[in-house]
Order: sequence, then structure tokens, then C-alpha cells
Amino acid sequence: MLEKKTQQQPEKKRRNKSRFDVSDAANTALFLAAFVGVWQLVFMLGIWPQFLLPSPAMVVTSIANLIADSSLPIGLGVTMLRLAAGFVVSIGIGGVVGLAMVKFPGFGKTMSSFAVGLLTFPSIAWVPFAILLIGFNDFGILFVVVMASVFSVMITTYSSIRNIPPLYLRAANNMGAKGFALFRYVMIPAATPSLILGIRQAWSFAWHALIGAEILITTLYGLGHILSIGKEFVDMGLIIATMVTIFVIGMVFDRIIFRKIEERVRARWGLDQHADSQ
Amino acid sequence: MIASEYKQKRGGSSAMLQVRAVSKAFHYDTTNSPNHAVLNGVSIDIKDGEFVTIVGPSGCGKSTLLNIIAGLDSPDSGSIFVKGERKTSTDPDRIVIFQEGALFPWLTVTENVEFGLKLAGVPKDKRIEKARHFVSMMQLSRFADSYIHQLSGGMKQRVAIARALAMDPDVLLMDEPFAALDVQTRDMLHNHLLQIHEATKKTILFVTHNINEALLLGSRVIVLSPSLGNIRKDIVIDLPRPRDIDSPELVLLKRQILKELEEDFQFARKENTTATREKTAQ
Repeated sequence: MLEKKTQQQPEKKRRNKSRFDVSDAANTALFLAAFVGVWQLVFMLGIWPQFLLPSPAMVVTSIANLIADSSLPIGLGVTMLRLAAGFVVSIGIGGVVGLAMVKFPGFGKTMSSFAVGLLTFPSIAWVPFAILLIGFNDFGILFVVVMASVFSVMITTYSSIRNIPPLYLRAANNMGAKGFALFRYVMIPAATPSLILGIRQAWSFAWHALIGAEILITTLYGLGHILSIGKEFVDMGLIIATMVTIFVIGMVFDRIIFRKIEERVRARWGLDQHADSQ
Repeated sequence: MIASEYKQKRGGSSAMLQVRAVSKAFHYDTTNSPNHAVLNGVSIDIKDGEFVTIVGPSGCGKSTLLNIIAGLDSPDSGSIFVKGERKTSTDPDRIVIFQEGALFPWLTVTENVEFGLKLAGVPKDKRIEKARHFVSMMQLSRFADSYIHQLSGGMKQRVAIARALAMDPDVLLMDEPFAALDVQTRDMLHNHLLQIHEATKKTILFVTHNINEALLLGSRVIVLSPSLGNIRKDIVIDLPRPRDIDSPELVLLKRQILKELEEDFQFARKENTTATREKTAQ
């Protein structure tokens, strides 16, 4: 609702950008302060023993220690590598199958209802299957990540290309765009705004699945692995420190990277102007 | 004589564009009604450099005819020749300017104009130079690097014209290109288009439902009849351009065309009520 409102006033938003940012930052700071304050208060009430609910300061120390002994940077790096690998594989397979679905309408129709069904399938439910079929290793985790996100990529590719305004294709065809040139210079850019939305969703699915898989499929590294270590050794500081890291990564990707790309594409394609004139 | 019936020269090699006995019917598979013949053996010869307007009410098949000529649609029978060569598919020798919305929003004005040249494999510096030339010809230099959504409706259509001209087509096909514009903008673009025709001597086929527009622009006006599915009248207008729509000659012609079309409407209504569409198709 709020997002829609800002989209409808691109001019105003641009003009007040600096002021908006300041108040945004102030709100965020206030929110964080309140959150930490309540946490500290609950800690001081002593409902739970310290080792089960550490104070904010203790978690900060935990994070510092984890960074100092480099287990957090390594875990983060490994997790990111897995995410990148799984995501690349998903986009590759999902993209190719999605294009095949466009090319062969019969297959597309069947596959899309199948893929929609699998879209709602909880990714964690793939874990036992992956463990038995592939084992407790990176490939098992990769499998779960791919299964969680590939169908989203597939459906997005399929629907984005099918929803390209036919006039673009006719005009391009008229100017001599055929085969690969039509695909590369018209279909891909025309589908980009909706492709980005789908890829953002696929990323979020992949991210959820990855942490879940890392907790359940035990390997030596990764954020999920650190979480399960924390559980085994009853180290709440470790657990919360890792959770904060996971939260920050999610924010950075979704709110900053994907949103920036989306905003840029929407502005260039003139999509916000449409919302404005409606 | 300012206006005369155009005599068709069959198989003339001087023709730039030849439409030969083109027929097209639409198939309504939802009802049991017979196929509706939109075009019924239409033949047209257009000479090099001619500016032909096709006018007719909606549903007379004028856009269908244009699409068939462009190769975007295939006829049930009949054929299209450009410079005596038979054409069955799209080709950059016949470029269509659509009513609206056919420009690519992800490209700037210049990039849009460059698009066809890029496909044709024209080297980058050459095509930028060419694109800039047509962008400035359409008085869009100030907006060369703007994106499409930043332009007004009239500017968009100027970009579309620049994009088409950059391809250097043999025939420019215009499918109600100014129908969505306001009157002032349309007048401006009419003059602009006439100047361009004067300067480039391009062969233009311009489809419209607006009789004034057809009379102001065309060196020849073809009236397409929905009931015949064919040409009802083919008029050569020898008046200099820009023309005044209130001049006695044009007023006379307009009245004449309206009368023809009025008969057509009555005919069509009768056809509909007695539901003998099939007869028309034959």
C-alpha cells in the first residue's frame, strides 16, 4: 500500500529525496533503539537464564568473537557461494525450461500447472529426499536450493515472455528481427521488468531453502551449520549473532540490490509513469 | 479535372507495389455464422513515389490489407509484389508505422531509430550517424537520448516515422498513425509528413478512417467498402499540397465519398438483418 503510494508520485519523491532519506533513517534508528531497549529490559527481568537469553551487548561480543576467529566470515562466504551456485543453476535450468514451455505450448500448459504446484511445495520437504539420494554434502544442499527456486524462474520466464505486447514483436519482425535477434533484442528486454520480479522471488525462495538445508544437512561450514552448532552447544550468543547476519544479508539483497535494480528498470521502461497517469 | 478515376494498369512493371486479387476471410469458430470475407479479391497498383491513402469505416479490412502487404498477416489467396518481386513474409523493404505503442520503451529515441539498422548489421558509427540524421529530420534532436515514456504522443509518432525512414524501405505503410493524437498535433504531423514525402519521394500507403486526412494527404485516395470487401472508388487528386480541407474541390470529394460510404452502411445493415453475409463473401 505504502509502496504503491510512493510509486504514484515519482516527481514528488524525487524532489524530496534527501528529506525522505533523513526521516527514513531516523525512523529506522528509532525502531532499532526501541527493539534493543525491549530486549535489554526482558534480559534484565531475568525470566530466562543468561545463557538462554543473552543481552544485546553479549550478542555484539559474540559477533566480534565470531569475526575474530573468522568462523563467521568463512561460514558467510561458503553460504554465499552455495547461494550463488544454486541460483545460477536455477536460472539456467528454469530459463531454458521456461523458454521450451513458450516454444511448445502443449508442454508449456502442462508444465506450468505442475510447476505452480511445486512452487507451493515446502522446500524443507526436499531435504530427506536429498540426503538419501545425494548425501550429506554440498550437492545435497545445492539440490534443495535449486528445487526451491527453479520453478519460480521457470514460471516467470514462461509468463513474462508470453505477456510481451504482441505489437513489439510485430514491429520487430517487420524490421527484420527473427530468431535469435528477436529473442535477444526484443523478447529479453521486453520481458525484463517482470523477469526481475520473478528472479527476486526466486532468490527469496533459494535463500529460505539454503539456510534450512544447511541446518539439516550437516557439513563443515555455512551459516546454517553455525546455527546447528549453536543449538548443539547451547550457545545462544552464537545463534542470535548468526540470525542477525542472516537478517542483514536478506535486507541487503532484497531491499538494496534487487530493489535498486527494479527501480532503475521501472524508471527506464517508464512503468511508474503509467501508475502516475492512472 | 482535378479528380479522376484511377485506371488500373495490370502487370505494369513501373509499379512499386502491386496487390493482386487479395482475399481474406475471418473465421469465427465460436458461432455457426459463415466466415466473414473482409477482403474480396482486392487489387491495387501503386507507383514509385505515390502517396496513396486508403479510407474506409472500421471493419472494412483496411488494416488487414496493410498487414497483408507488410507480410505480418497472410492472405487466403492473392499475392503481393514489390518491384515485381513476390513477397510472402515480412521484409524491411516494407516498414509499418503503427497507430501507437510500437516503440521500444527500453531504448532511447536514437536507439529506437537505430534498431533496424543494427539488425541489418550496419556498423555502429554508421548507424548512429544515420539515426541522428533522421532524428534531426523529425525535429527530435533535443530528445535524442530521452526514453519513449518521456515523450508526448506526437513525438512518439515522429520517432516511429524516423525509425521507419532509417530503414530506407521501398514502401512506407502507415496504419492510422495519427488516430490517437489531438487535432493540432495531427495537423502538424500532416504537414511534416508531406514535407518528408516531398524530400524523400518515398512510396507511402496510408490507412485511415478519417476522410479529411485521406483527402489532405493522398495524391490518390482509395475508398474501401466493407460490404464489397473491395475498392469502391479510386480517386486521383491532382491538387497541390498542403491542401485546404474547406476548398470547394475537397468539399465536393468529401461529400461524394461520404455518400458512397452511406450506401455502404445501409447495405451492411440490410446484410446484417437478413443474415446473408455469406452472399457478400461470394
